[in-house]
Amino acid sequence: MRRQSKSFSLFVTISLLVISLVFILPIVFCIFTSFKESTEIIRDITFFPRKWSSVNYGYIFARGAKYLQYYLNTIIITVCSVAITLVLSALAGYSFARLPFRGNRLILSLILFLLAFPLCAILIPIYMMEFEIGLLNTYLGIILPNLLCILPFSIFIMRGTFIDMSSELEDSAEIDGCNAPQAFLHIMLPLAQNALIIVLVSGFYNVWGEYTIAKTLASKDSIMPISVALTLLKSEDWNYGVLAAAITMSIIPPITIFAIFQDKLVEGMTAGSIKG
Amino acid sequence: MLPTCIVLFVFVVYPVCYTFILAFSKYNFAFDRNMTFIGVQNFIDMFKDNQFLAALKNTMEFTLYMFVILVVLSLAIALLLFNKKEHSWFFRISIFMPIVVPASLICILFSFMLADNFGIINKFLMDIGLSRFTHNWLTDGETAKWCVIIVEIWGKVGFCTILFLSGLQNISVDLFEAAELDGAIGWKKLVYIIIPNIRETFVVVGIWAILQCLKLFVTPNVLTNGGPANSTLVMYQNIYNTAFNYFEMGYAAAQAFVLTALVMIFSILNMKIGKKEA
Repeated sequence: MRRQSKSFSLFVTISLLVISLVFILPIVFCIFTSFKESTEIIRDITFFPRKWSSVNYGYIFARGAKYLQYYLNTIIITVCSVAITLVLSALAGYSFARLPFRGNRLILSLILFLLAFPLCAILIPIYMMEFEIGLLNTYLGIILPNLLCILPFSIFIMRGTFIDMSSELEDSAEIDGCNAPQAFLHIMLPLAQNALIIVLVSGFYNVWGEYTIAKTLASKDSIMPISVALTLLKSEDWNYGVLAAAITMSIIPPITIFAIFQDKLVEGMTAGSIKG
Repeated sequence: MLPTCIVLFVFVVYPVCYTFILAFSKYNFAFDRNMTFIGVQNFIDMFKDNQFLAALKNTMEFTLYMFVILVVLSLAIALLLFNKKEHSWFFRISIFMPIVVPASLICILFSFMLADNFGIINKFLMDIGLSRFTHNWLTDGETAKWCVIIVEIWGKVGFCTILFLSGLQNISVDLFEAAELDGAIGWKKLVYIIIPNIRETFVVVGIWAILQCLKLFVTPNVLTNGGPANSTLVMYQNIYNTAFNYFEMGYAAAQAFVLTALVMIFSILNMKIGKKEA
């Protein structure tokens, strides 16, 4: 191991501490604000709440039916998108890794190309298309384009994992009488667990916080996810306490999931982007 | 496999081709029944359009500043984390956390903190006796620009840091030891050992960062909505306005086309530079 001088290591710790604070303070501030009463927010402007009050959360659960609706929309959109992505990316990743077929490379490079494509270029025709077939302001209309955003990365992760796995395992399963789908389901998928987790988590936080698609394709309260709805309320509703409470409620799920799977996620994100 | 391909084809290949056709036509989605082919007229109009030119200029400006700050800052943080062997989980979590937090919500939060009369940042400045620096951050064009940049970097730097950190961890320990025996310490180590050995990471981070900069949309949209006086209007925002507020689909598609071309050019440039140095 390398040895470090004391002062250097102190310097590292202190700078890291400062940097971490910069990243963490806005979030802490948001959480604190959600526990303040509105006079305290506007007039006193303190960092710590003087008096902890749950009035904002009470408001959301008692009278803020629309907030709960937004929240529900976000949950529906996220869960559906992530579930579909898990299935599709596992299947597609496996096909790309194992099954030889014509046009394999072409489709793969097309998918890669997608990763770099600016969303707005395809959002215009998608909007017109959805308008024609009446998908605007439906869950499906938001879920499908969302899939488009998270699928390429997910397929890539899954493909990488299946390529790294030895094909002997699969062969031996086939000798034991599994057919290809059985081998995939019982042997390969359990082994790809880590990759599945990465797909799940990265898909989750991407869709959860998705803004552009939902902003374009959803204009009704009953469909709008919370990431868009709150930005509209920002200019209408000056009750910042309630707003902060809603923000807190909607940043906690992704942060929790991130904290749980942090190690695997960090590992996987790098793998995916380096290979990409 | 097949369903994936279908989804991709319906939602990618078709739209891309459609955008291409749209870019050469005039089509107002609200008024026109059919599109009319007008050749390169959209592209000619574009360069007479002050709105578009402002957006282009801002996008370039943002890309330049953000790119430099992102790369330098994330490399610095990665180096710090790399040198911190014990108890680094707290720092890791807090630095990487912004990646997963919904960007639009963070922007609301920041617009609240930066507010003129009741924002915590102005209040803090007053409390430490720097009241002459208090400012109406988001309504002054110059500072609004920097607010967008800072908020954007706050959310994006974590990902670049992860990439750099893994690049650093891939350098073999032997190499460091050998270098140290040869007397490479401090800056020398950084310049001669670390940077040449993470060149690949530089390319990946570079492409990713350029993409993010050019695709900048959420932060200026929520924080300032392109204002004040177009000072934070970016191309993406302009395309969005043209398409979904004025419904000039053809013109918007043409602009989207230019943005895509920019993305491609910068990515390829980045890869070429990375290769040349290797």
